[in-house]
Amino acid sequence: MPFLPRNVITALGGVILVLCFSISSAGQGNSAPSPRPATQKSISVKQIDIVGLRKALKPSNKPLLVNFWATWCDPCREEFPDLVRLDAEYKGKIDFITVSLDDLAEINRDVPKFLAEMKSEMPAFLLKAQDDDAAIGFVSKDWSGALPLTILYDAAGKQIYYRQGKVKLETVRTELNNLLSPAKIDSKE
Amino acid sequence: MFRKSAVLIAVLTLFVFVFSPTVGNAGDFAIGTAVENFSLPDTTGKVHAFNDLKGKNGAVVVFLSAQCPVVKAYNERINQLAADYQSKGITFIGINSNSTESADWVKSHAAENYKFPVLIDKGNVLADKLGATVTPEAYYFDAKNVLLYHGAIDNDRSGKAPSDNYLRVAFDSNLSGKAIEKTRANAFGCSIKRVGE
Repeated sequence: MPFLPRNVITALGGVILVLCFSISSAGQGNSAPSPRPATQKSISVKQIDIVGLRKALKPSNKPLLVNFWATWCDPCREEFPDLVRLDAEYKGKIDFITVSLDDLAEINRDVPKFLAEMKSEMPAFLLKAQDDDAAIGFVSKDWSGALPLTILYDAAGKQIYYRQGKVKLETVRTELNNLLSPAKIDSKE
Repeated sequence: MFRKSAVLIAVLTLFVFVFSPTVGNAGDFAIGTAVENFSLPDTTGKVHAFNDLKGKNGAVVVFLSAQCPVVKAYNERINQLAADYQSKGITFIGINSNSTESADWVKSHAAENYKFPVLIDKGNVLADKLGATVTPEAYYFDAKNVLLYHGAIDNDRSGKAPSDNYLRVAFDSNLSGKAIEKTRANAFGCSIKRVGE
């Protein structure tokens, strides 16, 4: 091994250290847990009122799946991994949004934090209505306000699936497959 | 042999899938309908009849939960209403229909939080009968067991600034002989966890 002066060795050591640090930092951005995952993953939750809700519930040439939830709702949290899975399976074929009923104070705290933990990529809204009764009635005359609630609309806005309580994943898949390729489903039967 | 077993399992799976109960199908008990007397055990096991707990001006059946944060936020307001209207002949009856909450849990929660009886609706029979799906959810019956108001207690689950005190207004209207203007109001809350869910 050739002899190297002490100052060259020190400089090389410094470069290696800097490189290691850079690689480590880049890795954290993708997968490693960070102290503030919500802000680092840039999950943005948009506040809407009943007017915004009306717009959000209008399909735009695709089936629309909507989940109403809250961080304080145990079954909502329990079913969320299934919803994220559904979103991944049908990405591009349907629109899928989530509407949180948490307090407005949580719009930059618990709501994005939970969504980041779930690795959720669905557009996220938080509903702050002047009148919850009116908002509930607008969504569905059958809804008591109990969470979670999941509704599937076809591209024309017709309600295809309505579930108050945790979703039944296979039922939603069947409904989505029916909507997306009715001819294929018919030929199988 | 293996094929027969596989077919049997598939048939059973299909049966469970098709016939499993759903929350959303609970019927709604209409305003103006009279509820039949019913009996349920309290948290000590003592059975109470609705007609025995009812006050001279009726009773409120309120579906509760030991773990729901929305119920927790309402506890103080529910107790205040119960205290205010007890002397006016309207009594409160708490109902816990959640299959996921143990009897001990419901018992300690009721003892710590309420001054009125909390009855255990095992198998969510009463919840199904009335179509209750959310906690808290109130049903106000008059002295003849006729449903006068159903739904939310007020319009602010945080309790910071309710502007519509639905249940209190319903009490006052009926006690003063006036018609109740708003007989139904919904609010966001926790799902009642039914058996088999």
